Amino acid sequence: MSTASTATRFGSEFRAICGAEHVVEDPELHPRNILGIAPAFAVTPGSADEVVGVLRFANEHGLVVVPAGGFTQQHSGNLPPQVDVLLHTTRLTEVEHYDAADLTIGIGAGCTVAQLASKVAVDRLFFPGDPPLQERCTIGGMLATGLYGPHRHGYGSPRDYCIGVRFVTGDARKAKGGGRVVKNVAGYDMMKLLIGSQGTLGIITSASFKLFPAPRQTRTFLSEFASAGEALAFRNRMLHSPLDPICLELISPEARALLTLEGISCASWSILVRAAGSDAVVARYHAELGSAVSREVEGRQEHDLWQAVSDFPHTVGERHPRSLLFSMTLPLADVQPVLDGVAMVAQSNSFTLATIGRVGVGHLLVAMRPEPHAEVTLVNFVNAASGLRNRLPRDASVAVLHCPAEARHHVPAWGPMPTDLASMRAVKLALDPKDILNRGRFLF
Amino acid sequence: MSLAQVVDHLRNIAGRDAVLDRPEDVMLYEYDAGIRKSTPGAVVFPQTTEQVSEIMRLASSVHMPVVARGAGTGLSGGAISQKGGIVIAFSRMNRILEVDVENQRAVVQPGMVNLQLSEHVSHLGLYFAPDPSSQKACTIGGNVAENSGGPHTLMYGVTVNHVTGVEVVLPSGEIVHFGGKAAESYGYDMTGFFVGSEGTIGIATAITVKLLRKPEKVATLLGIFESVDDAAQTVSAITAAGITPAALEMLDGWTLRTIEAYCHAGYPLDAGAVLLIELDGLREAVEEQAEAVREVCLQQKAREVRRAKTEEERALLWKGRKTAFGALGRVSPSYYTQDGVVPRSQIPAVLRHIGYVAKKYNLIIGNIFHAGDGNLHPLILFDIRFPDQLERALAASKEILEWCISAGGSITGEHGVGMEKRDLMPVLFTEQDLDVMISLRNAFNGDDVLNPQKLFPTPRMCREITGPAQNPVLVQEGM
Repeated sequence: MSTASTATRFGSEFRAICGAEHVVEDPELHPRNILGIAPAFAVTPGSADEVVGVLRFANEHGLVVVPAGGFTQQHSGNLPPQVDVLLHTTRLTEVEHYDAADLTIGIGAGCTVAQLASKVAVDRLFFPGDPPLQERCTIGGMLATGLYGPHRHGYGSPRDYCIGVRFVTGDARKAKGGGRVVKNVAGYDMMKLLIGSQGTLGIITSASFKLFPAPRQTRTFLSEFASAGEALAFRNRMLHSPLDPICLELISPEARALLTLEGISCASWSILVRAAGSDAVVARYHAELGSAVSREVEGRQEHDLWQAVSDFPHTVGERHPRSLLFSMTLPLADVQPVLDGVAMVAQSNSFTLATIGRVGVGHLLVAMRPEPHAEVTLVNFVNAASGLRNRLPRDASVAVLHCPAEARHHVPAWGPMPTDLASMRAVKLALDPKDILNRGRFLF
Repeated sequence: MSLAQVVDHLRNIAGRDAVLDRPEDVMLYEYDAGIRKSTPGAVVFPQTTEQVSEIMRLASSVHMPVVARGAGTGLSGGAISQKGGIVIAFSRMNRILEVDVENQRAVVQPGMVNLQLSEHVSHLGLYFAPDPSSQKACTIGGNVAENSGGPHTLMYGVTVNHVTGVEVVLPSGEIVHFGGKAAESYGYDMTGFFVGSEGTIGIATAITVKLLRKPEKVATLLGIFESVDDAAQTVSAITAAGITPAALEMLDGWTLRTIEAYCHAGYPLDAGAVLLIELDGLREAVEEQAEAVREVCLQQKAREVRRAKTEEERALLWKGRKTAFGALGRVSPSYYTQDGVVPRSQIPAVLRHIGYVAKKYNLIIGNIFHAGDGNLHPLILFDIRFPDQLERALAASKEILEWCISAGGSITGEHGVGMEKRDLMPVLFTEQDLDVMISLRNAFNGDDVLNPQKLFPTPRMCREITGPAQNPVLVQEGM
């Protein structure tokens, strides 16, 4: 896309596909960029067919397309070598089906998580997706990035409650997987491939979900411990007990300070246990957890507390732009050794650590920021990232969700993964052979 | 290369006693629990992943079709070989490789029998959640291939929700790993994609599964209804009341009487239908939900709601449910089981439609199914010695599945598409949907050496939608 005349020609093509008012040609006019790289065009298709049109054209002309929802995660991933077209999904918001009696809904990818949640709340139903910034985060973005929050413990991840998906492949084929029923094994499970694919296989245009009955009430029990080890021993007790909370979250002292959780001292490690159910169920938690609990929270305060925990990744970037944020998945027994290893890495590079995690399922979010007054340079960022990677056990995987601009060129966004890379590449080639979707930002 | 030469190679790879090729031996591997048959050329019993890899390498080099086989309990023809092909039978790779209590995982070989895993870890207070009715025989490798379910998938999900890693032999013979012991990983979810790919992407040789903690309390209720319609309405009412049972099964009057005559599970002989409802979890929650379920049943005109008082009573109620297929064998020479799914609110309507189809084709159709998630198993009785009966059974089955699709449902909830439903795929999926899936298959299995003729319609079927009855080349006699 070298000359002004080709650019003009492309612009008129996109206007023909999406309508003039849904194409922005001058990068100056749209403030959105991808890790500092401004796209030449921003298009907002109004249907899956228009997405097909845009992608077909992009394939023909070798244009790199970046799908975008609520822009809550566009700061992650590797630096793209090229961004030609920013494709907004925000007009894809149609409700395809809503069957309250069946506890299912199918909705456009551009709908936000908060919109979906409030839509079904009217019928006392519950959508468990709780990624950061739910007012902005779209369904398509949540699925493409595989994001989840504290509800992961009790309700699983999107891979467990997404039952159908419609999408357009990188090579512009409109397709679907799954359907709108809660049990369905016909055909390949396309949902699994698209969830967490970071927008590199196809553009999700809509998705169907299982819903859950809204809990009658919830209450959060906060327990405090002198060390991470004691907190994890408490986790193990929880995992071996009959209790089945909807959230089980570890919060380090520094993370608590960062989240400015009201009225809680910042000296200790905490575990938050969120129970859902009747009075009798909540009373049982009270009895079982006993003296380990220092505080119980419910109502508005509880809601705000969990919102803050969900938003932790965002808060880190907002408060401390010069920080690294790692998201790790790992086997349960590796949580303790990884926390120890990470502490050493942080210390030797003059970083302060703030950690939260769904420690009952093996997901950690670790933020490293320069210690106050410490001379932290690029070398420290690079060493911290590689040091953390080197300490990861077998079967763990890691992504860098936030990286200061100064280190982006030197800190790869994706770490070791247990899954065979060549097989993943074969999948990418099958669906996006010209590599037009999010080129360079993910694995290949 | 001739079949005899291939067999020689197979013997070199797996051992002299690990290959069958005499017609009377391979005949035992020509069928599964469905209705189709096809005789393989050879059956090989590998003992290691490396042997599986060598077998795949050999088969790919001579373009000989291969299918992996567990216990052959599948109902969709997934484990049936193409005529003259190689069956890789996993009965000698049936060990538990590791039980990792701390990480709540087990690593098993594909030939491991489903129930044996739960029995093996029972003393630790753990179990493996997917529980197909054939769990005493079916293998975890087969469960992975077909993404099998069972009664308790209502609360706990199907096999894919319980597998976190697989070791896979690709058609090239290469051994690769997808996932591991972590619940999820960054990167494409190849594990999730592999589970349910019906043996068309690769062959699993080791499987990492989740082990769940046994619930503190289990309540098993039997709701007894005068009519199928009342029972069906109750299913929707339970869902709408915000109760998620661990299992919610329905048996119609004809089916429960057939079962009762066979195994004396304690089902009432004069009922129109029963619901078998199980709740599990924290004691307090289970008691409240059991009471709520009882109330909903009674509001929906249940004649009576019984609750199993002892573990023995509970086991007996489940024995009736899980041995239903054996019971049917006593009353009909053949039966054809379907696996359609409808949105749960459509259960009363679909059952009325099944009644209509039974009359139209003059067939007996029993109903025993996973009502809680709308997963039907109409049991169509016929006598395969009379070709017109088979034709009618297949036509009836197609009509039921098409109704399911038109109601927003699916053609399979847990049995897989396999051979039997592949020509219905174009009703459920567009040509381009299938084209995308086929391009993924071709990325791994481009020569279609691995489990050909499964899952996807034959090329002409992409355009024309015809019934399975028109393509029954592999249907032979008997079961």
